[in-house]
Amino acid sequence: MTHTQKRILINDIVMALSTLSAIIGIGFLLWILGVLVTNGLEALSTTIFTAEGAPPGNSEGGLKHALIGQLILVSYAALFGVPLGILAGTYLSEYGLKSKMAETIRDISDIMMSAPSIVIGAFVYAMIPIILRTTDDMLQLVPSTLREAAFALGAPKYKVIIQVVYRGAKAGILTGVLLGVARVAGETAPLLFTSFNDNFLNTNMNEPMASLTVTIYNYATSPYEDWQQLGWAAAFILSMFILTLNIIGRLFLLKRKGR
Amino acid sequence: MATIVEITEPKALEVKDFEFTYAKADAPSIKKLSMPIARHNITALIGPSGCGKTTLLRSFNRIHDLYPGNKYEGEIIFKDRNILTPKEDLIKLRIQIGMIFQKPTAFPMSIFDNVAYGMRLQGIKNKTELQGRVEKALQDAAIWGEVKDRLKHDANGLSGGQQQRLCIARAIAVEPEVLLFDEPTSALDPISTGGIEELIVELRERVSIIIVTHNMQQAARVSDYTGFMYLGELVELGRTEEIFVTPRERLTEEYITGKFG
Amino acid sequence: MNNIVDKIFANSTKFIAFGVLLLVAWIFAVLFEHSLESIKAFGFSFIADDKWAPNLEKFGALPAIYGSVVSTFLAMILAVPVAIGIAIFLSEIAHAKLKTPVGISIELLAAIPSVIYGMWGLFYFVPIIRDTFGGVGISMLTAGIVLSIMILPFMAAVTRDAMNTTPDILKESAYALGGTKWDVIKDIIIPYAKAGIIGSFILALGRAIGETMAVTFVMGNVHKISTDLRDPATSIPVTLANEFAEADSELYYSSLFELSLLLLIISFTIISIAKFYFLRRKRVGA
Repeated sequence: MTHTQKRILINDIVMALSTLSAIIGIGFLLWILGVLVTNGLEALSTTIFTAEGAPPGNSEGGLKHALIGQLILVSYAALFGVPLGILAGTYLSEYGLKSKMAETIRDISDIMMSAPSIVIGAFVYAMIPIILRTTDDMLQLVPSTLREAAFALGAPKYKVIIQVVYRGAKAGILTGVLLGVARVAGETAPLLFTSFNDNFLNTNMNEPMASLTVTIYNYATSPYEDWQQLGWAAAFILSMFILTLNIIGRLFLLKRKGR
Repeated sequence: MATIVEITEPKALEVKDFEFTYAKADAPSIKKLSMPIARHNITALIGPSGCGKTTLLRSFNRIHDLYPGNKYEGEIIFKDRNILTPKEDLIKLRIQIGMIFQKPTAFPMSIFDNVAYGMRLQGIKNKTELQGRVEKALQDAAIWGEVKDRLKHDANGLSGGQQQRLCIARAIAVEPEVLLFDEPTSALDPISTGGIEELIVELRERVSIIIVTHNMQQAARVSDYTGFMYLGELVELGRTEEIFVTPRERLTEEYITGKFG
Repeated sequence: MNNIVDKIFANSTKFIAFGVLLLVAWIFAVLFEHSLESIKAFGFSFIADDKWAPNLEKFGALPAIYGSVVSTFLAMILAVPVAIGIAIFLSEIAHAKLKTPVGISIELLAAIPSVIYGMWGLFYFVPIIRDTFGGVGISMLTAGIVLSIMILPFMAAVTRDAMNTTPDILKESAYALGGTKWDVIKDIIIPYAKAGIIGSFILALGRAIGETMAVTFVMGNVHKISTDLRDPATSIPVTLANEFAEADSELYYSSLFELSLLLLIISFTIISIAKFYFLRRKRVGA
């Protein structure tokens, strides 16, 4: 075989293996989603949303408290995380710019995003870095000529930011928020520490609150079949919520790029 | 119908009724173009942006094939065969017809490895042979003196002009018969440009050259034949002195005198 | 009036941004404070001791550390080649029409909450491991595989992005010399994108080490070092997830906190290496 023929053969083998890898990747996705959908749909019924958690053996059990609890937790996190994240991101993009301090904050924020959630703990703190970074990036995309034009008309800086820059980056910031919420909604680990109250959760909610994610974990690992069923239903609901947020967020981004 | 002058030399390539349509396009970018390319001569392709000169150039080594969906029609004859057929061995073709690009494209490797790349692809492993041919190629590209002491250094350390010479050395190391130059000096400063132009003229001894250029003065300085293209068609092909002094087509004259493009 | 509002706005944003830094410092401080008791009690043997016995008030973190290292290592070995393959497929093989749906599918894999991976792993993958390899099914091996599937999408996506930064003209130059796709990928694209690719792999490593939920379902939380991959094991996050609610003594709590601190330091270090050595951020916009 000539050298070139050998090269072509190796090329074909590598391409085949790469395609195989893609098939493996998609395969796992379909498997996991398939499992989720079949089990979840099977376990779903209207009472799930209205019934409260019940002891195993009672087929009337539902997820009402868990769902409400999750919504409250996520909203609470968003309530704190979104404005703080946006404001911090604004500082970076509009005031700190490329200063050493700003770069340090960006770097630390990036690292936080990838650090183990079980340690970084609470929800709230997880959302801030994500929203901070996307806000920072999106605001930087707004052309400086726009800002200059506003300044030239005599606008004070805060008005330039609020009235001009935010408006220009609206879609991008919204995407960041959606993706941040999606990411945080799926978090389980930090919530396992309900006895870990004051330092990490730092909320006024002293009552143990049911969350969807912890419920999934508890129910799914229990030996009771009806609880397991509920676990699948909960998993399904949670995933649909998160995937929908992700897809909406991406559509926003695509629309923005298309401009 | 294009006005084409009789070529006295044997032909390196011959284009016959060539049509090219890009993947998503409604209409062809090159329409029924015919033209001869003289061997061991420099043929320049000039014309305003969008006239198809680069599209034509890139058809000679079928680099268009990297992007699916493009369509060729007609023939390009090289060494007694039509290179546009699906059966054409593209790897072999690209060794025989080499290409230099608008920006220097030094590979992320040492200077030596850059020049040796094409040869290694062909399976040449013998160290002595490689060293000999690399040195010769760098000498022919008039850059040996500047790099002989740093062959193992990263090629990206070279200046723009040097990198382009490196790319030329890399291309001639595999001993092609035709060299395609796609606006080779557009990213270079005037001094480097002059050097590259000199080099191209010297290379004419060994290879047939087709050069696409936006710069009419460059075409006038460097080439033996000049082809003027407009809107996907060849308007006129002739000896460079005639094209620039006494063009036969009105369109050619208008372009040359700067009335458009 | 405008001046005052301007000042307030500017200072508030500055305060909050700096607050992020304080937050991180505070987290470290809290962890450290709560770990003191354990540090005082065990010193270095915390890391070296392989006995984790809550009822005896003896806490050796070695099995957890071992589990974290081995499962992550296993995950990387499996994920790296597949991720590169997927990246090659997405950037060089797939038709334009396929690129977007396949690319988005891979990214959606990354959005699935880890709890779901855990459930799928427990109910569907564990039996397969059990039947194929023997053992209980809940094991280091299963954890490694599930972990690799979790980090796969991220690695593939970032590798694809890094590969796509290679200028077309550079690729064309290599094709113009008679290169095949693979020649161009291995000699041009990968060297060009090397920093980004390695950086993303190390970043994935940093994340994998902190992964909790997916692994908790399928690893077992057994504090024993075993060379048989089919045996159940534990990792630092798995220990934390399982035992925090059960901790019933100050020393137990403190040891768990020390584990948390260890984990944070390790992942912080790995992620920082990825960031600062390999992934120098490119400036965006203005």
